[in-house]
Amino acid sequence: MARYLEVWGDTVDSRHMALSVALGAGIAAPTFLLARWVFSRTVDDQTLAGSYALLLGLAGCVLAAVVAARLFPPKRVVRESSATLESRQEALDSIAAQGGEWTDPAGLAPQVQQELRQLGLYEVLVEAHEQSRARSAEDGAAGERGTP
Amino acid sequence: MTEMLVWALGMALLAAVVFAALGLVSGTDETAVIAPITLLVVLLGVPPAGVFAFFMAAVIAKHITHAIPTTLLGIPGDTMAVPMLPDAQQLRELGAPHVALRKAISGGVLSAFLAVPLAVLFATLLSPVADEIGELAPWIFLAASVLIAFTSRGRWAAVVALVPFVLLVVGLNSFVSGQLGHGLSISFFLGIATGPLVADLFLAMSPVGRTVLQREGPATFDLAPDVRTWGRGIPNPLKVLDRKQTAYTAAAATISSATFVFSPVAMTVLMGELAGSRIRNGYHRLTTMMSVRNGTTESTYIAETMIPLIALGLPLSPMAAGPAAPLFNAPPVYTVDAETGATHNLHDLLTTPQFLVIGLISVTIASLVAYPFAMTHAHRAASWVMRTVSHEAIIGAFAGLILVICLYEGGLLAVMVTLTVGLVGGLMNRSFGVHTGVQFMGYYTAVLTVPAILALL
Repeated sequence: MARYLEVWGDTVDSRHMALSVALGAGIAAPTFLLARWVFSRTVDDQTLAGSYALLLGLAGCVLAAVVAARLFPPKRVVRESSATLESRQEALDSIAAQGGEWTDPAGLAPQVQQELRQLGLYEVLVEAHEQSRARSAEDGAAGERGTP
Repeated sequence: MTEMLVWALGMALLAAVVFAALGLVSGTDETAVIAPITLLVVLLGVPPAGVFAFFMAAVIAKHITHAIPTTLLGIPGDTMAVPMLPDAQQLRELGAPHVALRKAISGGVLSAFLAVPLAVLFATLLSPVADEIGELAPWIFLAASVLIAFTSRGRWAAVVALVPFVLLVVGLNSFVSGQLGHGLSISFFLGIATGPLVADLFLAMSPVGRTVLQREGPATFDLAPDVRTWGRGIPNPLKVLDRKQTAYTAAAATISSATFVFSPVAMTVLMGELAGSRIRNGYHRLTTMMSVRNGTTESTYIAETMIPLIALGLPLSPMAAGPAAPLFNAPPVYTVDAETGATHNLHDLLTTPQFLVIGLISVTIASLVAYPFAMTHAHRAASWVMRTVSHEAIIGAFAGLILVICLYEGGLLAVMVTLTVGLVGGLMNRSFGVHTGVQFMGYYTAVLTVPAILALL
């Protein structure tokens, strides 16, 4: 569909966006101009009159946003995802690839160990440690034999 | 004094609530959101103490809540959150997204409390040479523009692009002065800040440009599950971080507060790598990097605003020239005189002890509002915003806000100036990597350096 566009970092419907901009401009600007006209005649201090008009203009923007949010729903699909075992294994591998090592969690400070136990990750890290040890042992043996 | 404190407390509270909410809306760039609203507060005539408190609380509260989309949804809360995305993603995959969030915001709160007094200290150390810096300001801005341009993604193209951009500002400003009898500044500033939005709107209007923006359908987001909530009273950042993380975050905050002229994103990456290189275990390394990186963005935010504000009064840092710009220059309330370099802004209106006290008040209030909220309600809040607040509504409100502020400064002519600068700046950003920071420096080069060069000829 040609109507979906990515504008300012998120997906929008082009017609809804045009209407929202029209709402923002159409409510806020006239509110400000009218307020300035009224206040400049009723308030003695002209700086203050300008400030009051600005404040009303801002209120106009907020109002336009509320109306637009009511009229046009977000163009987002939100999925509640939970980490599967598969992606956890991938995560362990990619963390290792990024420079993290799977050292024995028993060597960590007691506070960190407790945190891991609360998360149910302690056993997972012990396993990751065993795996990486096994792997580096294999690599070591392979290295000695001269294979890449 | 009492009146000042009341203003500071009230404005800090207002900013904390508003920006804690805005921080949940992902992708809202810090410059485009904080700068126009701070500007509005200045123009409304809020006293200096209130303005400073408002800005500080806004930055800190938004910084806390924008970690929610960054960690739970995998979309950067703002440009400075980008370096944290890969680490956050890996913690999500490990099934611990809430840990990523809690480590990040606890590091941020810790850094904020440290950065305020540190910034005051470094500003005091700098102040003996402040006069010399002030006299050399036109040339320092020129050097800073070139440096910031060169370190942007645009490299040499960004450096050379400064020439047409500075000329554009000089030309527009002298045309406007001829018409109105005075130059504009807010409109230029707004054009630069909202350039990415203006350019996207033009692209969306053009049948040719639209092909660049086209998407197949609604965007899909994976919201991390609500694993566990914090149920033990008011959270304490020092209990969320372990001792090593506290030490590294504090060290990073100290170093990055001193280096206030460097790019915040670069400092964030650097500090994270430094901490990461010293910890071996994969899990502990990731959580420490989350805390250090988010702490660094917080301390650079604060130091880059406060040091130039206290010591110089000139916006000589990426933050000061960007989101914090209205604290330096928001005519007719705050001004930087182009010819003499004389300032009339928060630098002249608040004393150093006042900066310290109001700064700490703002950090405290923003933390009290946003930190417990993010620790306990992150999942529900993120889910609600994603499902109810459409991006169209945000764009519409900002279009209205730009229009109102321009009409206030200089009528329809100001609107046209913002449109021109926004379109040119936004396209330079999109196509050549000349980011808004470079453009802000370009603006100051146009108003400060160009007259100084002409005076030499």
